[in-house]
Amino acid sequence: MANRGSHKPNGSSPMCQFKLVLLGESAVGKSSLVLRFVKGQFHEFQESTIGAAFLTQTVVLDDTTLKFEIWDTAGQERYHSLAPMYYRGSQAAVVVYDITNQDTFARAKTWVRELEKQGSPNIVIALAGNKADMANKRMVEYEDAQAYAEEKSLLFMETSAKTAMNVNDIFLAIAKRLPRNDDSGNRQRTQGQHLEDKDRREVKEGGCCSK
Amino acid sequence: MQPLGKANIGVSTFYASSHAEDQCGADGLPLTPNSIKIQGRYQWLKVLYHPRLCQHIDIVRGKHERLMIIAEHYKQCLEEESENDTYADEGAFLRLAYEILEGLAYMNENGFVHRSLSPKNILLDAEGHVKLSKYALYYMTGCGADVTFPVGSPRYMAPEVLMAGPSHSSSCLPSGPKSDVWSLGIILLEVALHFKIWPNYALPQLFAKILLLGKYGSSQHPLDTILKEHSLVEKFESLSSNIRYLLRLCLQPLMEERPSAKELLQNEIFKEFSPSPGLDKSTYTMFQCQGMRCEGLQVPQYIEDVEMTDDEDYLAERSVNEVYYLWGLAGGDVENELRRNGLLQSRPPICGMPNVVTQYGDILGLERDSTSLYDDTVVMLSLDQLRTRLAHIPPEDYYPLIEGDREMQKLSQSQSSHDLKELSQLPLIIREKDIEYQLHRIVLYDRLLKGYPYTINRIKLEARRDIPPLFRAETWAALLEVSGDFMADYDKIDKESPVPIDHQIGVDIPRCHQYSELLSSPVAHNKLKRILKAWVVSNPHLCYWQGLDSLCAPFLYLNFNNEALALACLSAFIKKYLHKFFLSENSAVIEEYLAVFSHLIAFHDPELSNHMGSIGFDPKLFAITWFLTMFSHVFPLHKIFHLWDTLLIGNSSFPLCVGVAILHQLRDGLLNADFNECILLITNMPEINIEDCVKESIRIFCHTPKSATYRQHARPPVKKEESSVFALKPISYYTVEVNELPRSELSREPLSLEELKSERCPRISAEDLLELCGLKGIENSKSPTKKSKSSKPIILIIDIRNSEDFNRGHIPLSVNMPFNQAFAPEGDLVACPAVTQLNNHKGRVIVVVGNRGTNAPNFAAQLTMLGYEKVCTMHGGIECLKSTGILTVSSPDL
Repeated sequence: MANRGSHKPNGSSPMCQFKLVLLGESAVGKSSLVLRFVKGQFHEFQESTIGAAFLTQTVVLDDTTLKFEIWDTAGQERYHSLAPMYYRGSQAAVVVYDITNQDTFARAKTWVRELEKQGSPNIVIALAGNKADMANKRMVEYEDAQAYAEEKSLLFMETSAKTAMNVNDIFLAIAKRLPRNDDSGNRQRTQGQHLEDKDRREVKEGGCCSK
Repeated sequence: MQPLGKANIGVSTFYASSHAEDQCGADGLPLTPNSIKIQGRYQWLKVLYHPRLCQHIDIVRGKHERLMIIAEHYKQCLEEESENDTYADEGAFLRLAYEILEGLAYMNENGFVHRSLSPKNILLDAEGHVKLSKYALYYMTGCGADVTFPVGSPRYMAPEVLMAGPSHSSSCLPSGPKSDVWSLGIILLEVALHFKIWPNYALPQLFAKILLLGKYGSSQHPLDTILKEHSLVEKFESLSSNIRYLLRLCLQPLMEERPSAKELLQNEIFKEFSPSPGLDKSTYTMFQCQGMRCEGLQVPQYIEDVEMTDDEDYLAERSVNEVYYLWGLAGGDVENELRRNGLLQSRPPICGMPNVVTQYGDILGLERDSTSLYDDTVVMLSLDQLRTRLAHIPPEDYYPLIEGDREMQKLSQSQSSHDLKELSQLPLIIREKDIEYQLHRIVLYDRLLKGYPYTINRIKLEARRDIPPLFRAETWAALLEVSGDFMADYDKIDKESPVPIDHQIGVDIPRCHQYSELLSSPVAHNKLKRILKAWVVSNPHLCYWQGLDSLCAPFLYLNFNNEALALACLSAFIKKYLHKFFLSENSAVIEEYLAVFSHLIAFHDPELSNHMGSIGFDPKLFAITWFLTMFSHVFPLHKIFHLWDTLLIGNSSFPLCVGVAILHQLRDGLLNADFNECILLITNMPEINIEDCVKESIRIFCHTPKSATYRQHARPPVKKEESSVFALKPISYYTVEVNELPRSELSREPLSLEELKSERCPRISAEDLLELCGLKGIENSKSPTKKSKSSKPIILIIDIRNSEDFNRGHIPLSVNMPFNQAFAPEGDLVACPAVTQLNNHKGRVIVVVGNRGTNAPNFAAQLTMLGYEKVCTMHGGIECLKSTGILTVSSPDL
């Protein structure tokens, strides 16, 4: 078992790793959000994601270095059966919908329900209403989404991967909500590997920021 | 494709209108550049053939929305020729009219109009026959919407064309086919009476005149008005009645009364003429043409003593397409040709500065750039350089002998084809750019493809060397054994009615290989949609999984003008390589595939496999997209082409070897990386050298016992009719599917998924084992890992049963290493003579044999952990060999 996770780069600030998963209907902009967050780029013709893609990004928050290990999943309903492999053991999830398409919002709700049932306990869920730059074509009202988010106590922001609006903010908001103390730490160390057998590692692993 | 003959190849250029900066469409995506739209529409013109039309060859996109059109061209045009007395004779005049009408009628049949017919673009070939050129400008520019200049020749425009207003206004209705008949009327009138219509009028006056001609209700026929204004009434009366009748018909002011080109062709006055003969059907391949190609075939008479003249132009007998392709290989570049002729002038950017720019981005006070106007000059491409490059190619190389026995074929080979042998050893990229090599390949493949399906085995053989890019589309179709009336099948499929998957297809297409100019055009999007829908509709037991779009893209790119063939190829490809992958419940299929993939990694690269295992880097996390799309979602098109060129000649297990080869290329990076770095490396997929990857895949494929890639979900054997050409003996053992070999009790059997996943190493069948150790006799040995010449056994069989069982009966030459004594507590092998033998065997196949059960797989797994390569186990245990009688009781010769 590789010993990764809690270590102190440069001997200064402590480093935490979090697994985050993106879920949502096809073509709502999951990959674009990650690409904007990780590389600051935007591709108009971003290719579809098959299976899943993996990226990492490090942010510094109050002297703590947080490393996001991001799994960007395929949107098509057919790939649903793969999703648990990625969200199981995730400490955070961004559920994305497209504000110009009501169906994608409905789909986002089913993802939230599924996460509540089958995701890790205490998982931080953020709801992202993407494509906010296309507000003139809006089909999902901000208030409706906000009311839903409040009801389910989700983080909520409308984002635009194209203009970068709220993209970093939503990830930072997640980072702030992620528990960083010892008692919840044993869930935080779950990483990309052994996606399936979280139970075993939850017992085995030590806390992330315990050192 | 028609032969070049005495035609020239010409290039002309114009600008498409450009969109304002940062403009977005309704879907929030940037607007498709007009040049891309035009390029998409243009493609279809390439396959449009009529003897009275100049063949379109290619379209090239330059900078700043510039487009360059390459087409068949002739020096002679009607404008010059009509000054002579060529058409004074009534017959000659009517033939001219008839031939132009033939061209127009053919265009109308295909749903488009000329709109800019003029004496300048009615060209005449060497025999004086009409060849219309620039006939597709109106069609390809979306009825003139995508260019800033008006399409048409003012003098010859019909009144209704002018009435409709400028073509970029939204109220403008597209011109109909009868407007061309008007233009023809004016042109013919000029020819008949040797004059120019209103030669000295400025455009506004000219337009006013033409509009007046079409004024509804005016009592006078336009023809009479024109004749009067030019004082040509008497001269007109001297023309034959047929000509006068024809001109009067063409210049009818009301479109309802004006006949169409097709109607005119059927008119009494043309009864002497018969349609120009088209291309012989036998010049097409079965992929290009529906119905019997032998229909109306006339076998030329065999002439005993043909006189071979030295100055025969062999190049002229190749198709215009091939000649243009070769011209490019000989260093030709259309942009250079245009520049040399002063047609690529551009203004210095400082002159393009507007006076005022509003805050909304509107530009004011900018003088119109004259280079954006239409220049109808055609630059002829000089074929001299090409001819010089090919001057020393002997005539027989244009007509290679492909039938008859090998000796005869060898005799017929010229010196230059021996040089080709050497050329064929060069890297693929060099071969593809070598003009001589490509000429020979083109000549050969042209013949082979025309002979398909009867030439299928020869095509497969040649494809192992390489596939000429010019014939890739059809060669792939041949390798996929596409047959039958796939065109009729495609026509029958309902591609338009809405189906539930439309939305998904709709969101996937605009992001599928969009860096490709061709695939990003609206025409391409529609085609891709139709093909995908057709596939979904015709495969009701399968579903659309994201990724199918990527899989379809290479076939569409190659068969852009043949959707039916693209679908036929896609279907055949999926049947062969992706059997059951597109089932709605495909996890068992994919998991089995990935388990076999993991086995192959362990077999060929235990070190990497061990590393991947230790960091939890499971192929499931990255390889689903590889195999589900056969790498078409991973690589850009030009790499997919080279990869699939080889993939298509392998069997359905070959892609697994490609996967191992890719990991092999990334090996160093992966071995030194932790989980995150590994997954990032694979996700970003650094530059993979495809030629190396292909070579490595082949090497891996040839060093993998066939049964090691056995999959229960692979395609079951396909029954082929005995008489079918596809039932011929396969050209190589390698390409045979595991599932198509005859089955016996020594064959592989399905394993449960858990069992398969729990094992580290592949299993091979008892049959393969017997072959590998040559126990069936070298004669029958046909397995990939053949017995080497040194007659040293190429495999080492390790029998892990206890020595008692071993002595009671074992496979000859097998080595006994009882499992319970073999390993030290730390996991290392306990030194013994058997281990020495094992170490001396490195690099060769090691088969672990035991009783039925998990012992052998566990032993093999331990060997792999220790870094031993090519470790596998025998399926079925030693028991299954008892009936063969090969087990010996002699003590091992250790």
